[in-house]
Amino acid sequence: MLRARGLTKRYAGLLALDRVSFDLHPGEIVGYLGPNGSGKSTTVNLVVGLLEPTAGSISLDGIVASDDPIAYKRRIGYVPEEPSLYAHLTAFEYLTLVGRLRRLAQPTLEARIPALLQILQLHDSRYKSMTAFSKGMRQRVLIAAALLHNPDLLVLDEPFSGLDVNAGLLLRTLLRLLAHRGRMIFFSTHRFDMVEKLCSRVIVLSAGRVVMERRVADFDREGVGSLEETFARVTQQDDYEPLARRILDTISGG
Amino acid sequence: MRYRPAVVLTRHFFTSLFDLGFLSDEGVDSLKRALLGIVAVAIGLGLLLVRVFMTKYANLAAGPVEAFERAVVADHAFLMALPMWMVAAACGFAGQSLFPDEIDYRILMAEPLSRRTIFGAKLGALLLFCGLFVVGAHVSLLPLITLTLFVAAKTGSPISYASAFAISSAMASLFAALAIVAVQGLLVILAPRARLLTFSAAARSITFGVLVLTLPFVVRLPGTAQAFAADAWWLQWAPPAWFVGLERVLMGDATRTTLAAEAIGATLVVMTLSVGSYVLLYYRFDRVTLHPGNPRPVRSRPRVRRAIGSASVRAAIQQFVSITLRRSVLHQGVIVGLLAAAGGFMVNGLLAANVRPLASDTRATATTISALIWAPMALAFLATPAVRLTLSLPLDLRANWIFRMTEEVATRGDAVAGGLRTVFGLGVALPIAVVAPLQWWLLGSSVVVLVTVEWLIGWLLVELLTLEWHRIPFTCSYIPGKGFVPHVFVKAVGSYVLFTWLAGSVLRVSLAHPRTVPVIALIVGIPAGLLCRRRTRNARLVNLTFEDELPMDVTALRLNAD
Repeated sequence: MLRARGLTKRYAGLLALDRVSFDLHPGEIVGYLGPNGSGKSTTVNLVVGLLEPTAGSISLDGIVASDDPIAYKRRIGYVPEEPSLYAHLTAFEYLTLVGRLRRLAQPTLEARIPALLQILQLHDSRYKSMTAFSKGMRQRVLIAAALLHNPDLLVLDEPFSGLDVNAGLLLRTLLRLLAHRGRMIFFSTHRFDMVEKLCSRVIVLSAGRVVMERRVADFDREGVGSLEETFARVTQQDDYEPLARRILDTISGG
Repeated sequence: MRYRPAVVLTRHFFTSLFDLGFLSDEGVDSLKRALLGIVAVAIGLGLLLVRVFMTKYANLAAGPVEAFERAVVADHAFLMALPMWMVAAACGFAGQSLFPDEIDYRILMAEPLSRRTIFGAKLGALLLFCGLFVVGAHVSLLPLITLTLFVAAKTGSPISYASAFAISSAMASLFAALAIVAVQGLLVILAPRARLLTFSAAARSITFGVLVLTLPFVVRLPGTAQAFAADAWWLQWAPPAWFVGLERVLMGDATRTTLAAEAIGATLVVMTLSVGSYVLLYYRFDRVTLHPGNPRPVRSRPRVRRAIGSASVRAAIQQFVSITLRRSVLHQGVIVGLLAAAGGFMVNGLLAANVRPLASDTRATATTISALIWAPMALAFLATPAVRLTLSLPLDLRANWIFRMTEEVATRGDAVAGGLRTVFGLGVALPIAVVAPLQWWLLGSSVVVLVTVEWLIGWLLVELLTLEWHRIPFTCSYIPGKGFVPHVFVKAVGSYVLFTWLAGSVLRVSLAHPRTVPVIALIVGIPAGLLCRRRTRNARLVNLTFEDELPMDVTALRLNAD
């Protein structure tokens, strides 16, 4: 189980995350929603161990990230929001590099890399430098890299960004199957439809604080309105029609 | 006010010729500052050279007129070679922007612009760029050029001499620029799209490396008056000599027609290739730019087992380094440039010691032996920090997360060693391998002893220079041992003198008394081995150093701060 308690992060005096706590159980897919700048990516960086919290702690099955960061990170697969990878490598070279760094045995790499490339429709481009890849192709490479070592916790930051319809459907189905097999999935996104279709629970963040945590199934049952309406209410979103009208006026004028 | 698209585009292309394509905004700014500094230094040097040459001509004034004229011929070779060098270097740096490329196609062809406007603007920008460097180089050398013409007036009409020099030197610079454009043009037309970046990076690095290596020869041109008088064989292979030949022919000297013909022929060839590439690209812009190229045949693709190779972390890092040095324009350019500069320094030293491997009368004198012992060690001393510096240049800091996510205590030593093997390979093994044939030529089988001891000294040097190296290459730009620049400079010069003196002494003893080699091997090898062991042990205790730029780090702008 992933357990986050009182996670706080300050950047040079700026409070980015304020005492955020949540749990993630095996077999669960948790959606993490919030407006831009609410602290979603900071949370993701803390969960995967790329940042250290200013206060609070985070542990995975009893392994505290700050006590044994290497053992903690060994069990995580991560897909970042931006397709940040060494684009001068080919997909095959990148996965080989990641597999070797994860200390996977050679026969395992020989079996998994070509198979993942084939399934994710990257096989034909496997010897091309990723500089020529679209965002969706890079995203698929990152998904393959995150799955290569069969992690217990999968952390995904906007994983559907750039993916075409087929790849999106494949990823959705894959995440469900992974959850069925007891994997934990933490998934940060802007897309309500994906959260509604995929997640068992949703956490909403605003200005660095958790403003709502609820089971997705409860939205219809309790008559509180849809996820989108609730999100707009709890995060105090603006009315966008006046802004849209101003844009129209600007481009229509002299 | 409405701008004319052709003018806007020309300005855009002209500006982009100064953008090297791989530098950040800060890097471009600092490069501009460095270039301005270089121009200032060039003008200063030009004035200093006038002083030096005045003394030379004053001494020659007492002698016969022929000696005077011979000196002017060699000096003109130098005065033509310097602008050629500068123009070629500028065009080489701007290699990626010499022709309209895929980005130009995708962005500009979608705008209401004709193909003629795009190509015309690109060509205009290229002409302005080359013209700027040709004029700049000649202006910085103007005092010296004037002096040589003034001196030459003693043997002929100064106006005809000035005209001949102006035509020949302008043509020489044109040749240098067009040679680079032709190479880039052939690459654009012939290389498959998928490989264009790799080929282009390699071409740029080779150009840069060759230019740096030729610098010692350019500097020595004023001393080649005798070679010009004797019509030495190598003049046929030296482009500045061709254009001096053209200048002499324009002055009415019929003995230099071969050189002049070479100058005209070579200029016509590179001009045809450059214009041909432009014209071909103009008519086949879409096909040439967007065509993916023939995919490699399936048979040539590596088998999965071979492609993955060893699964060790050390092998993974080594492969990562090797691929990056092959494909990254920045890293390849820096490493080739620095190694070529070190090579140029060594070549200069060997030329000064009169080591001439192709000359039939070459014997191993005390001076040549000293130079041959000094050369690999001096090269290794300069190349090792150069390679270390190249591995410190970050590639993509945002992609570092994968190394941080996969860091393991047990494999940290391997991760560090993977990078250090490259430092040893390029910083020590390569210099030894480059000089070994020359040593063998002049010293015979003793080279085995020399190479063995050089290898051990090189190992010790690498271990000393990487004492505080706890990183994976290209993930962190912090420079170990960084400090106050004058202090570092004095330390570096002192270390160079001490190292080359100590290493030279050890090598001289090994050469003179081969029986001492086992003892020397122990004296040098044991400290190197101990340092290696210390580094491996420390790797388990010290975290790898990363310079991180996480994608979503919050930056407080403090716009209202007092």
